[in-house]
Amino acid sequence: MSVIVFGLVQLVPGDPIRLALGTRFDQETYDALLARSGLDQPLVQQYVTWAGRALTGDLGVSFRSGETVTSLIGERLPATLTLAFASILVALLIAVPLGTLSALRPRSVVDRVATVLSQIGISVPEFWMAIVLILVFAGTLGWLPSGGYVPLTEDPGGWAQRLLLPAVVTGVVSGSVITRFVRSSVLEALGADHVRTAQAKGLPGRQVFTWHVLRNALLPLVTVTGVQLAYLLSGVVVVEIVFAWPGLGQLALQAVQSRDYPVLQGAILLFAVVFLLINLVVDLLYTAIDPRIRR
Amino acid sequence: MTGAPLPEPAASPTATEEGVPSTARPPQPRWRQTLVLLARNPTAAVAGTVLLLIVLTAVFDEAIAPTGPNEIAVEDRLQPPSLAHPFGTDDLGRDILSRVILGAAVSLRVGFLAVTFALVVGALIGLLAGYYGRWVDDVLMRFMDILFAFPAVLLAIAVLAVRGPGAGNTALAIGIVYVPVFARVTRASVLGVREDVYVRASRSVGASDWRLLTRHVLPNAAPPIIVQTSISLAFAVLAEAALSFLGLGTQPPNPSWGLMLAEGRGFIDLAWWLAFFPGMAIFLTVLCFNLLGDGLRDVLDPRQRTLMAGSGR
Repeated sequence: MSVIVFGLVQLVPGDPIRLALGTRFDQETYDALLARSGLDQPLVQQYVTWAGRALTGDLGVSFRSGETVTSLIGERLPATLTLAFASILVALLIAVPLGTLSALRPRSVVDRVATVLSQIGISVPEFWMAIVLILVFAGTLGWLPSGGYVPLTEDPGGWAQRLLLPAVVTGVVSGSVITRFVRSSVLEALGADHVRTAQAKGLPGRQVFTWHVLRNALLPLVTVTGVQLAYLLSGVVVVEIVFAWPGLGQLALQAVQSRDYPVLQGAILLFAVVFLLINLVVDLLYTAIDPRIRR
Repeated sequence: MTGAPLPEPAASPTATEEGVPSTARPPQPRWRQTLVLLARNPTAAVAGTVLLLIVLTAVFDEAIAPTGPNEIAVEDRLQPPSLAHPFGTDDLGRDILSRVILGAAVSLRVGFLAVTFALVVGALIGLLAGYYGRWVDDVLMRFMDILFAFPAVLLAIAVLAVRGPGAGNTALAIGIVYVPVFARVTRASVLGVREDVYVRASRSVGASDWRLLTRHVLPNAAPPIIVQTSISLAFAVLAEAALSFLGLGTQPPNPSWGLMLAEGRGFIDLAWWLAFFPGMAIFLTVLCFNLLGDGLRDVLDPRQRTLMAGSGR
């Protein structure tokens, strides 16, 4: 996979050194910088050097700012983590009650409203929703700031205020996807034989629901939540841009625009690793939830 | 995904006869049955009709649009919606209704191109992997897994960074992102059909791989692929808008819904209509593709409902 990351980024056209230096420079500075960045080496050697260092956590130095990629990513990571986990929280708070309710009363008013709402949530462009929310809550009502980020440790109130809108935007979109999964998996669990048995032997409805229905419906929920979390962690680039949220997505976009290979490589590699990690966690959760899988 | 043979659509009255090749064809072509069933589903019918209107608008864009996309009339700039300009005008006095109509052509063209690419390449990979199995399957699907592991938007951004912005490259970027999705759906569907009686029967009388694939496997494995196509069109339109919004897709002064949103964002306090109408256009189009996809799934492939809901986002 690291080969693909490296190869893809190498294909980006444009001369990064030229971009970093601006319009006025002499050949000597150019050569010096070229040698320092290792770009004068053959590609294979560049790859081996990069991959070797990446394994030890050294992802190189940004062409543009001269900072190490590791520290650049480290700076952005808290903002991205905050937004991703806040969004998934919003998503689950919407999806679990809504999906369960509509599964318990299929074809009822609640079910129809929930279906329409989740369909709308899936279809709405998130950057458009972001703009509309900013217009309403930051513009017209003036309740919330329109964007930016402050660390929790510096200003908890400001942190929460600034987190709310982006988390709602991404949370609503993810929540809509998850709602549909919750609905169908609860419906499926409700129709299972063992649920009918539990009801037949006279267990109280609540007990049947928590122990026999919810527990079985949990597996697909874990999967889809994992997928959504991976998607959110990989930087909801567009939402980050609209809310001026200094996350990884923004960093990656800037890196593309300024041909900053090391930063782009580092960011994409990190996303890919995160994706694999989340899949691993989901698999581990599976065995914890469902003892059948362990066998 | 599904190990068991995929049954014919439950709603089809001739489902059981489909197993006998060529002699017992259903009296009506299947697409017509599908269309009839689809029309009985009110949501899908409405969504399909609206989509048809949107597509017609996109096809006859220049005939319908009141003005050209880039007719600048500075004296009319930032006019709110009125009879002369139903959607208002932008900061250069361009008619927003006209730009939304002409933007439909751009957005839909990119969407269709992207999905066609993903469909052709993905379905081919899935078909080969599912039909031949063994090492073909392993090699192809591992490669798909790797591609799938990259975050969709970033993969598209990276492709655009390599190839430069523009409509064709945007379509390619989005198409590449969706290749693994189609490959997986096709492979799963093919696996379900591969060992069905009619395929084995045809093989035993000496039909070639090509004939088996085109006459028996592909037609019977098609329903989930068709459903996926509709849903992918929704996300392709959304992705095109997002990439154009970021300045990587369609380039100004061409009208594209995402680009118009980005341009309108700066005027959001002064003139809400700049960003509102292109956003509504995206939303409506995406919603209709999604609803149509849901309707198609109910008709063609009821068993796949839980498996595919919301895949791709």
